[in-house]
Amino acid sequence: MSEPLLQVNHLATEFTTEHGIARALDDISFHINKGETLGLVGESGCGKSVTALSIMRLLPKPIGNIVGGEVLFNDQDLTQLPADEMHNIRGNRIAMVFQEPMTALNPVYKIGRQLIETLVLHEPEMTSSEIHQTSVNMLKRVGIPDPENRMYEYPHQLSGGMRQRVMIAIALLCKPDILIADEPTTALDVTIQAQILQLLQEIQQENGMAIIFITHDLGVIAQLCDRVVVMYAGRIIEQADIYALFDAPSHPYTQGLLKAIPGIDKPAKTPLSTITGMVPSLFNLPSGCRFQNRCPYTENRCIDSSPELDQVKNDHWVRCYRHKELTGAKI
Amino acid sequence: MTQYFIRRLLLIIPTFIGITILVFVITRFVPGGPIEQMIAEAQQASQQTGGGLNGAGIGASTLDAEQIRELEIYYGFDKPVLVSYWQWLSKVVQFDLGVSSRYSEPVWDTIKERLPISAFYGITTMLITYFISIPLGYWKAIKHNSHFDHVSSIVVFVGYAIPAYVVGIILLVIFASNLEWFPMGGFYSEDFEDLETPWEQAVDVFYHAVLPLMAYVAGSFAVMTFMMKNALMDNLAAEYVRTAIAKGIPFNQAVKHHALRNSLIPIATHFGNNISVIIGGSFLIEKIFNIDGLGLLGYESIVERDYPIVLGVLVISAILQLFGNILSDICVAVVDPRVQFR
Repeated sequence: MSEPLLQVNHLATEFTTEHGIARALDDISFHINKGETLGLVGESGCGKSVTALSIMRLLPKPIGNIVGGEVLFNDQDLTQLPADEMHNIRGNRIAMVFQEPMTALNPVYKIGRQLIETLVLHEPEMTSSEIHQTSVNMLKRVGIPDPENRMYEYPHQLSGGMRQRVMIAIALLCKPDILIADEPTTALDVTIQAQILQLLQEIQQENGMAIIFITHDLGVIAQLCDRVVVMYAGRIIEQADIYALFDAPSHPYTQGLLKAIPGIDKPAKTPLSTITGMVPSLFNLPSGCRFQNRCPYTENRCIDSSPELDQVKNDHWVRCYRHKELTGAKI
Repeated sequence: MTQYFIRRLLLIIPTFIGITILVFVITRFVPGGPIEQMIAEAQQASQQTGGGLNGAGIGASTLDAEQIRELEIYYGFDKPVLVSYWQWLSKVVQFDLGVSSRYSEPVWDTIKERLPISAFYGITTMLITYFISIPLGYWKAIKHNSHFDHVSSIVVFVGYAIPAYVVGIILLVIFASNLEWFPMGGFYSEDFEDLETPWEQAVDVFYHAVLPLMAYVAGSFAVMTFMMKNALMDNLAAEYVRTAIAKGIPFNQAVKHHALRNSLIPIATHFGNNISVIIGGSFLIEKIFNIDGLGLLGYESIVERDYPIVLGVLVISAILQLFGNILSDICVAVVDPRVQFR
């Protein structure tokens, strides 16, 4: 197999806050291949978005800092790249779509200006009429009706779904190698959500870009992704291709998540299964396994030391001492 | 939009009538009006001429009932309030603000003489305030929590905490009295008319303006600077700035092209109000620096019950305030496309 497009190795990110230092990411390693869709799942605060922001080097300064590891893209370590070279990668080779389309666009500028800005920056040899035409075509491509006139409208004149399409159009303008989508459909209603997901899939088939899709919605993952990385409290706890993950989840947390999905085939009024307890605070992490306080299978060794990622099968990795007895266990 | 502003302009008329009626009625009922002032003056005069005579009977003897009656007719006090208000208003519409009881010259001429002086100080103060506050607030936001931020905050707060007239007195004592770098007061030198070129005249005016302007500015830029800083910091944390950086725009440019424009919205809201407040002038500063501005004129005419001038100054400041409000709205609509007037 060819070399992966993006390789994240042992990435660690810390936030310096009033309450002390919080290690939001600890030893994060994964890769993504050309044309592939990688899902990043986990509950709020587990580090999904921080992973995306670390790759893009968009962490809030000065409190958020990458303190270890590397992000390899085209044989370059993005964490060490000088600022001006990073500017050439952002929006050009790696683009990002954010969660909140309502606030992600600048309210005082017209849509057109916000599209054109990206092209002016990354395609200096294009003439202004080419730039305009490319922008209009891209708006049309993402399914915005009457794109020529939309160029002259302000963000507040568009609906949430339309704005997210504009955000996607901006991200796709320079035909990036990787699109990082940070919960792009969370703020939208379900029908719009389905349209946006379909749009992303179509565009991916057309131009073969890789997508890192961040979500807490396992349904979206199942629909869209080739491989999945499950995160918990700043660490990767399971990594597998989509079929292995849904058919034979190995980590008790993943199993708990899948069990918590309400099923249409279950008898009516079946109590919804939940994972008891709370995520540990990043300021006060347990020394052993980070899931120990909520795990039904905790043993002494889970409390004493933290398990490493262990290979279950080919590309299926899990961070649990007891995964062999638990994998695919009837749950 | 045009329709909205036409409506706003028309609304000025009833508001203006409301404000002036209120003040007009008050002038009727406040004791010590112009007639009492004249009686008192006549009393003093007769005391001086009449020698040692004193007592309660003198007031009545200096101005007889006939004279008082004439004065009442002259000031319109013989008619009901609303009738004389109507007379006053119909004259105001023809730009006739009456005659000052103190200077015995048309009010409009007196105001015309003073208004440019206050306007000069007001507009210059406003320009200086904007030129200091916006860049200062900008840098304070970018360098939040740095030494520069802390030190400038102290300076700004000290300037804000000390009343402008105290700043004025301190400046006067140090720079005019002790060091003699600047004149003690006045709008220009006594030999102003003899200065040959307009350039020399302008230099003379600004030379006299340095200390009063410092007193005006010291207190006024705190609010603006912090409004700018806070607005910019809010916008720096906004998601669209992150979007801009994610597009590949360098941070400095993202601030200049995206965050700055949004931060000017609250500043623009204040713009119109500033104009009206500032042109009115501060009578304390005008008093300290002996500047014959509108603030001082208004204050003195209230003390001396020179009602035609009081009402004249009120007319000018009310109109400025009302137009200032509309100007604020226009400014906001210009910088913020989300604002739509119907």
